[in-house]
Amino acid sequence: MNEMTMRFLSRLENESFARTSIVAFLMPLNPSVEEVMEIKTMVAEALTNAMIHGYEGKGDGWIDVSVSYDETHTIDITIQDQGCGIENIALAMQPLYTTKQHLERSGMGMTIMSSFADDFHVESSLGNGCIVRLRKQLHEQTENALQ
Amino acid sequence: MKYQMIADTLYFYFYGDFDNLKICNLKQICIDLIENYEPAVVKMDFEEVSFIDSTGIGFVLARYKQLKKMGSELIICNLSRTNQTLFHMSGVFQIIAYERNGVKL
Repeated sequence: MNEMTMRFLSRLENESFARTSIVAFLMPLNPSVEEVMEIKTMVAEALTNAMIHGYEGKGDGWIDVSVSYDETHTIDITIQDQGCGIENIALAMQPLYTTKQHLERSGMGMTIMSSFADDFHVESSLGNGCIVRLRKQLHEQTENALQ
Repeated sequence: MKYQMIADTLYFYFYGDFDNLKICNLKQICIDLIENYEPAVVKMDFEEVSFIDSTGIGFVLARYKQLKKMGSELIICNLSRTNQTLFHMSGVFQIIAYERNGVKL
């Protein structure tokens, strides 16, 4: 029903830009305050993973984001990098697991995405980047929401 | 961020987005303030924080570890409902105390 794509460098300042832009794109659906916070948080987790883990803090990698929604208010968000990839996705999914404890990472990013999304998939292998797919079903809020 | 030291307690007041970029800028300042003041208690006030993610939780846990080594205590204050959910999810409240209100600037 509606779709947009974005491409930006893996610079830390772009994380705020991206999560704000995604939420702005979804405003016609009239999401609740809680839904907005959940979307912003799960997007931030995926972007931070791409920047800190995928590109290992270097700001010269590209991150591709696509967002779409349909008439049932189902939102699909895909966040893709061409970084170093994840060797063991099951291990990375474990709460509190992190390879970057020295950077004060909490290891909760995957758990948060899994909790806030209705559907959550990670596709990755070592050296081949990472694709995160997030689906969220919005609840209809008011008569002002898109029909 | 603002801070104040009252008696043996160091108060941090955070504002706006508490994300990766913000924490990169704040982290060393907070580490140094804790080392310099050697407080018995640190209270982190999140009342004015509009956004927080796992980076923020990592920062809080790291300061908890820093303070624990000094024999000091960390207390988190005034989280919004959504932010409380995040902290609950991470099990933070099993090791770090939480309170509402506290001393304002």
